[in-house]
Amino acid sequence: MPDASDASPSSPASASGPRLSRRGLERLDLLLLVVEALDLNGGEAMLWTSEQLGYSHLFPNRVEFWKRRCTNPLRRTTRRDALAPAESEALIRILCSMADRLYPLLRALLSSAEPPEVTQQRWGLFQARLAELMRERMNLRRGAVHNLLDPEAGFPQRRQLVQTLALASGDGGVERLRASLLDAAA
Amino acid sequence: MKTTLRFDQISCRLQVEGLPDVSAGQASDAVGILTGWSLQWAGRPELEGRKEHLQALMTVVLPYARHLISGVQRRFGEEPEPVEIGPHPEGGHALLLRSSQPDTPPLQVRLDDAELADLVRVLDQLRTDPRLKLPMAAPAPEPLRARELEQRTPLIQRLAAPVGGALAVALVAGVGLLLPVPRPLPETEPAARTTTSAPASPARPGTTTRP
Repeated sequence: MPDASDASPSSPASASGPRLSRRGLERLDLLLLVVEALDLNGGEAMLWTSEQLGYSHLFPNRVEFWKRRCTNPLRRTTRRDALAPAESEALIRILCSMADRLYPLLRALLSSAEPPEVTQQRWGLFQARLAELMRERMNLRRGAVHNLLDPEAGFPQRRQLVQTLALASGDGGVERLRASLLDAAA
Repeated sequence: MKTTLRFDQISCRLQVEGLPDVSAGQASDAVGILTGWSLQWAGRPELEGRKEHLQALMTVVLPYARHLISGVQRRFGEEPEPVEIGPHPEGGHALLLRSSQPDTPPLQVRLDDAELADLVRVLDQLRTDPRLKLPMAAPAPEPLRARELEQRTPLIQRLAAPVGGALAVALVAGVGLLLPVPRPLPETEPAARTTTSAPASPARPGTTTRP
């Protein structure tokens, strides 16, 4: 499991590292939302993981945690201030730790070895839960949110988010996800 | 004494065997000299090889996973490399293993997303295991450039905007060419002619000169 002490001073997203782009912020918060859709107690688990990883000074309570997540431009109530590199690094590590914990669930969604009806049912449940959270928190007038909510057209994007979490879990996941969130704007 | 490192996931098991390099002062449970490795898949043939093959597997699979996170599906490990991975035409991922034996055809393994994630996890576990004293160099994950990210958008979609723009310009230009050229205004203003042939003394502003 990734640990806060793993962050080397020379890592690209350390305290003096580059800031996440607008798209990076969107993806990071969407991935956290996917975690919440998979884990009914995901919000609490994130705070607990934050404490475990030693990020209590960055996110002392759920309100502060919530405020950092509201830097996502797709949110219904969005904050204009940017996420500090240390905060984004902490969120990435919390996310990867959660993905590691939820890996069996992620794997079950991605596996083709399961009977198709079971897989379909799992995806249906996941999609319903994610849609509920998105309707609650996201700006539904945004095209990206609309696309992701679409049961048919949004499926590849939802699968991509689940696959991203599966590949971001494990020992090398933090570096992979951090690099991905710092991608150039296409 | 031989040491075996074992890394398990649901669909695969990576086993690395080796010996500690006593001359370098390594602990008895360390692997400083790799004698062999095997990758066992559920319901698939077991893969075995030398250190170079394991290194090649790591060199192609981890960057492939890195690109996949960004939504870019591209092939890694071209012909001379012993291991190649890329998207499978029918979905999933195709892992191709080329044997060093001259008459042995390459072995292709089709992996689904879950099996690929398992493979990535066992390779990560091996790479970060402190008991492994061998340098297993895998390219450090880097942010992708805009050019690399273009690949995730289908070619038709990428060309739609510039082709549409060029067509719009051509259409407007064509319509513009079809319009008649405006005729010059008839010269029915004698005043203007008089003004041009006016004497050296200029008329006062606000007055008109009659012929």
